[in-house]
Amino acid sequence: MTPAELSIPATGRDLRLPFGVALAALACAAPLFLGNYPLHAIIIALIFLLPAHGLNLLLGYTGLLSLAQAAFFGIGAYTSALLAVHFGTPFYVNFLAAGVVAGAIALPLGIPALRLRATSFVMCTLGFVIIGQAIAKNWISLTRGDMGLAGIPKPYFALGPVSFTVSGTVGFYYLVLVIAAIATLAAYLIVRSPAGRNMIAIRENETLAESVGIPTWNYKLLVFMISAAFAGLGGSVYAHYLTVVSPLTFQMYYSTTMLIIVLGGGAGTISGVIFGSLLFVGLTEALRVAPELRMIAYGFCLLGLVFWFPSGFAPIIGRFWSFLERRK
Amino acid sequence: MTGLPILDISGLSKSYGAVRAVDGINLHVDRGEICGLIGPNGSGKSTFFDCVTGLAKPNAGAVKLDGQDITGWSLSDIAREGRMLRSFQKTVVFSALDVEENLVIAGQMFTFPGILSTFGVGSAARNRVAALRERARELIKIVGLWDVRSQAAGKLSGGQQKLIQFASMLMPEPKLILLDEPMAGINPKLIERVVESIRLANMSFGVSFLIIEHNIDVVTSLCTRVVVLDQGRKLAEGTPDDIVQNQAVREAYLGG
Ligand SMILES: Nc1ncnc2c1ncn2[C@@H]1O[C@H](COP(=O)(O)OP(=O)(O)OP(=O)(O)O)[C@@H](O)[C@H]1O
Ligand SMILES: [Mg+2]
Repeated sequence: MTPAELSIPATGRDLRLPFGVALAALACAAPLFLGNYPLHAIIIALIFLLPAHGLNLLLGYTGLLSLAQAAFFGIGAYTSALLAVHFGTPFYVNFLAAGVVAGAIALPLGIPALRLRATSFVMCTLGFVIIGQAIAKNWISLTRGDMGLAGIPKPYFALGPVSFTVSGTVGFYYLVLVIAAIATLAAYLIVRSPAGRNMIAIRENETLAESVGIPTWNYKLLVFMISAAFAGLGGSVYAHYLTVVSPLTFQMYYSTTMLIIVLGGGAGTISGVIFGSLLFVGLTEALRVAPELRMIAYGFCLLGLVFWFPSGFAPIIGRFWSFLERRK
Repeated sequence: MTGLPILDISGLSKSYGAVRAVDGINLHVDRGEICGLIGPNGSGKSTFFDCVTGLAKPNAGAVKLDGQDITGWSLSDIAREGRMLRSFQKTVVFSALDVEENLVIAGQMFTFPGILSTFGVGSAARNRVAALRERARELIKIVGLWDVRSQAAGKLSGGQQKLIQFASMLMPEPKLILLDEPMAGINPKLIERVVESIRLANMSFGVSFLIIEHNIDVVTSLCTRVVVLDQGRKLAEGTPDDIVQNQAVREAYLGG
């Protein structure tokens, strides 16, 4: 469907299934041969994969550049934190609530923002992050301001008589792995559905899309909400992993990171985003690169991308892929 | 109902600043008719299409499609009904998608009952898309794009893209198609094919057409009635023969 996926030739053996199985097995076995710190890096990468999937639906498939992902990430984190701290609700309730709240808040924000033209829309979404941070800082009775909310419990499940808490890096790793897998499947199903095709149509040419009856505005709003929900879910997991949230959860830096994941991995491809989050978040986290240094590294990555790989790594993976398949 | 014109436009006007691009035009297209719309560059033909199809909002006038007043409807609202579709003067396709996908998209909104249902991933959605694909393939054969059906539309020639556009418009089985210069930039052999495709759609599928075209031979051979615009106003109307003989039209447009 996307250019990168189209470039995979139909001839030769389809390696996608065996490769997917191998990757899944590797992911499941990772705790056996990886220490806690690399696992932590992968956990962070998989958490950021959620908002990145959301941004990919918006930017990669629908063609809308948004910097608001960090705002919805923060909204999700705070939603989960407040529920967990004040009501002691189980993890899955906080998690789903974070997605629903972020998606719902995207509705009143999206309605005016999507009326704007491309560049103004980007500026507007940037504003959402700043406003989000300001609210987290100043609505002290709710958010405790700069002190943030601490003591968010580790993910706690209560299903009838059984209840358990996911603690420890390995436990959390498997939880995040399952969540990331489900999110990836969800993104894949959206992209493969007729709606996904309509989204691509909007990205390719909005007026033409309208002329074949696609209600472009409604789709853009819907995808904006879906992408916000993805970000909210990611924020929830983040809050439960770090056990603290603060106004710093609303950071432009996070929006930039998500943007780098999508653009660097390959906008408009699911596999590219997975690759991007492992490379740009997992690797920098694993190498313990300081945030300031990371910003600089991202800057260079962006420059490199713009000049040498304008469509991200996905086409390169695609070419490598077809090379493998032809060899068989 | 059958006596009613499929498209009935009265007093349509549109100004861009001081330019009266379309100035009080009355025009109708009868059922099953192929009607021509000609006139010099800048006479307001494309603007007229824009106002009729909801891409631009007319300043005055009424548009009736199939007896229903659709004035002020948006482009996608009108298109989603699948009764009247249009092409654009500047050829546009979904470049990154292949020919077949282009056609499937063009038929999608008529197959799914609502936006949310388009997210459907069940077998119902799959069957609907399979049916669309089937129809897309038939139309691809009709317009002669079978050999390039799985190539990215953006990589094809301008003429081939025009054919994609034309085939796309047949996907939802419309009653009326508005074509904006379908022959511009197409080689003579391909022109024959487009003319034939239009005839076929008209005869077999009962589609009515309103066609903007500068190629006067095509207009005279295809159309039963021709309307001439000049500076936003209707200059003349009649059979192709009348129009070719008309002194005012010769002076303003045809030359000689
Ligand atoms: N979006 C717009 N903004 C401003 N002026 C416009 C716009 N669209 C059309 N016009 C003006 O309206 C007039 C009619 O233009 P239009 O494109 O309808 O002519 P046309 O008959 O289709 O010409 P052609 O045969 O060259 O395609 C022109 O003077 C043009 O400059
Ligand atoms: Mg024109």
